[in-house]
Amino acid sequence: MSNTPQMPRELSDRVLCGIFIMPTLGVLLLMVAYPFISLLYYSSLSFSVLRPLVPARDMGLLNYELLLTDPDLWQRFIFTGKFVFLTVTVQFILGITVAYYLQRDFRARDFIFTLFMLPMMLCPIVVGFLWRYMFNSEWGIVNVIIAAFGGTKLDWLGVADNAIIAVVIADAWMWTPFVILLATAAFRGIPKNLHEAASIDGVSAAYRFFRITLPLSMPILLIALLLRLIDAFKQYDLFFALTGGGPGAETMTVSFEVGKIAFKYFYTGQASALAVILLIIIVGLSMVFVRYLNNVGKEQ
Amino acid sequence: MGIRSHLAATTMLASSVLMMTGAAKAETELTFVWHAGTCADAIVDIAKDYPDKSVKIVPALVPYGPEWHGKIAAEFAIQGDGFDFAMWDSQSTAEFAGGGHAHSVNDIFSSSDILNKDLFKPASLARYGEYPDGSGKFWGLPVNQDAYGFMYRKDLFEDPEEKAAFKAKYGKELAPPQTYQDARDIAEFFTRPDEGLYGWGQMGGRDYDFATTASNSFMWSFGGELYNPETYEVKGYLDSPASIDGVQFYVDMFDYGPKGSGNWGWDEVNAAFQQGKLAMAMQWYYFNGSNSDPSVNKFADKTGFGNLPGAIGRDGKFRRQFSVGGQGMGINTYSKKIDELTKFMEWYFQPAQQKRYAAVCQTGLKEVLESPEWQGLNSYNKQFAQALQYTNDYWHLPEYAILLDQLQEEISNAVSGKKTVKQALQDAAQKHERTLMAAGYEIKRSDNSPEVPDQMIDPVGMDKVVPLAFD
Repeated sequence: MSNTPQMPRELSDRVLCGIFIMPTLGVLLLMVAYPFISLLYYSSLSFSVLRPLVPARDMGLLNYELLLTDPDLWQRFIFTGKFVFLTVTVQFILGITVAYYLQRDFRARDFIFTLFMLPMMLCPIVVGFLWRYMFNSEWGIVNVIIAAFGGTKLDWLGVADNAIIAVVIADAWMWTPFVILLATAAFRGIPKNLHEAASIDGVSAAYRFFRITLPLSMPILLIALLLRLIDAFKQYDLFFALTGGGPGAETMTVSFEVGKIAFKYFYTGQASALAVILLIIIVGLSMVFVRYLNNVGKEQ
Repeated sequence: MGIRSHLAATTMLASSVLMMTGAAKAETELTFVWHAGTCADAIVDIAKDYPDKSVKIVPALVPYGPEWHGKIAAEFAIQGDGFDFAMWDSQSTAEFAGGGHAHSVNDIFSSSDILNKDLFKPASLARYGEYPDGSGKFWGLPVNQDAYGFMYRKDLFEDPEEKAAFKAKYGKELAPPQTYQDARDIAEFFTRPDEGLYGWGQMGGRDYDFATTASNSFMWSFGGELYNPETYEVKGYLDSPASIDGVQFYVDMFDYGPKGSGNWGWDEVNAAFQQGKLAMAMQWYYFNGSNSDPSVNKFADKTGFGNLPGAIGRDGKFRRQFSVGGQGMGINTYSKKIDELTKFMEWYFQPAQQKRYAAVCQTGLKEVLESPEWQGLNSYNKQFAQALQYTNDYWHLPEYAILLDQLQEEISNAVSGKKTVKQALQDAAQKHERTLMAAGYEIKRSDNSPEVPDQMIDPVGMDKVVPLAFD
């Protein structure tokens, strides 16, 4: 019999857990907590990283107040909301329609599916420049096609109403494949016997789609919706390359505004405050969706 | 193989690796940031002949536009030495020197036996490196001078039928314009959308400085000003009647360009001209090399170059003022290789190297600029030598990038028709004053706002049109 004192089993497990968790916790602290706390701190200052000779001033919550009372910023929020609504709606209508047809097995299905996925694999800034040339009012392919059908050439990027349509087209072209990907996976994951039983009962295709396919795919479609909403909300590259935020500031999103304040104006304190505001919005939006998603999961 | 052989081979391998590492360490890399293009390629090419083979010039090139300014600013923001020197826009000197990021060129002048102020024209040195204005403190050397220029289709201007038709319609000879008023008539004459031909091409894009370098050229020529550098007043200057006249004229000129040209950058202007869609265009001298190259521009042999027109302002005075372009070579104060860089600059700014550079771009070295050999090298160098006296610049203030973006936004609003020119300039003036006040400037408000601000700030108005020659 050994004389070595035994550690209580429960405590020993806790210590072990702690030891195992510590590296991850350390990384998390370093990668998430530290930048976040720094961000909060910077948001209370007036300073610029590009002007180190000018001392930082304590602003308290004044940066937030200045931002939230700035009518220009509210315009950015309104535009961002309009853009997010339009682009995500287009992506879901097109994505679900295409996925509905791609869920079936047919010849060359995999080839067509791969072709559909290609835009998503491109770098957003490349997509922006690509569409910028295609939307060129004088020699862009879009206007050439419109003119070939007898239409009038449009000034796509120089007029505010046209510019938002142009950006939605470019964004939808790039990200509809993502919706197709997830929707196809969701549709194909539904047990075939449900559709077979419905067919035997003489149910129409539309009824089957709305009462079987869509409800059973809802958890995955909601995840797709959440990801697309967040992604569209923080879209930056496409606007940078395609419109530069113009004409005027007509296509300037909130993310574009953060980029501008942070890396063009180098108002570091104000940019930090805006980043905090954006973070709160995105986290809030995500929480609503995750809760809804959980409820849907429980119901099913 | 025995153990001894193994040891011997390992020792030899280790020695070779060490020697190679040693050799690699002996090589000093001097990295520079610039926008990609002919001139950056020229520097890299010339640098290959730098006698000290242990020094290698490494380009870190970015596209022209916001990425270029952003790359330099981001490195300075972290006080990093990711590059050793950079070519930055003339107006950025205040921003980077004011932030304490640029190494003093005065220090280089005092320590070098070769580099000194006399190598450059005082105006060039001031434009591309002085901050604050008139202080004698320099933070950059004029490495690549540039100015907003003009190009036109000589075949159209010299066509007897066109000349006769123009004279019949406007009662004057068809010739490259000396004033914007003439340019408007000619642009109107050549605007024939059915034939795919337009009279005038200019930049109006929201990006970087695309719209404002063009609109400023009009504004200054009509006697307007961006602000009063003595009192820091913007209201009453930027939105003065003369400034509005100039910007309104600029906006109206889009009527003689292709639909949608209000969103163009330099790339689109070049493309439209090279495709034969434009009779005249505003374009930087920087691009004359490619626009006179038949492999790039199918109308190269029919393209004439010159300086931009002036304008007769509301006070009856003639002014010819256009945006300065080009870049100064600034040194990153955080670089650990300033001694090696100074030696390279001493070699690079000698006439032999600058002549090679000037064969494709515009040097800042006085000796080369003034030489008849360089001025006769192509059809536009002679005009460029004249252009420098007509150039004007943005604000030389550390807040330049913010002021620029605000003005870009408002000029873009005027171009797109969202706001009238007057409203856009009033809004820009208000934003500018807010920015200046936030940065700590005291705005000393005068009782009267000038109708033509140029009459108060370094007046350049002439009683009659002073014509310049064209190619």
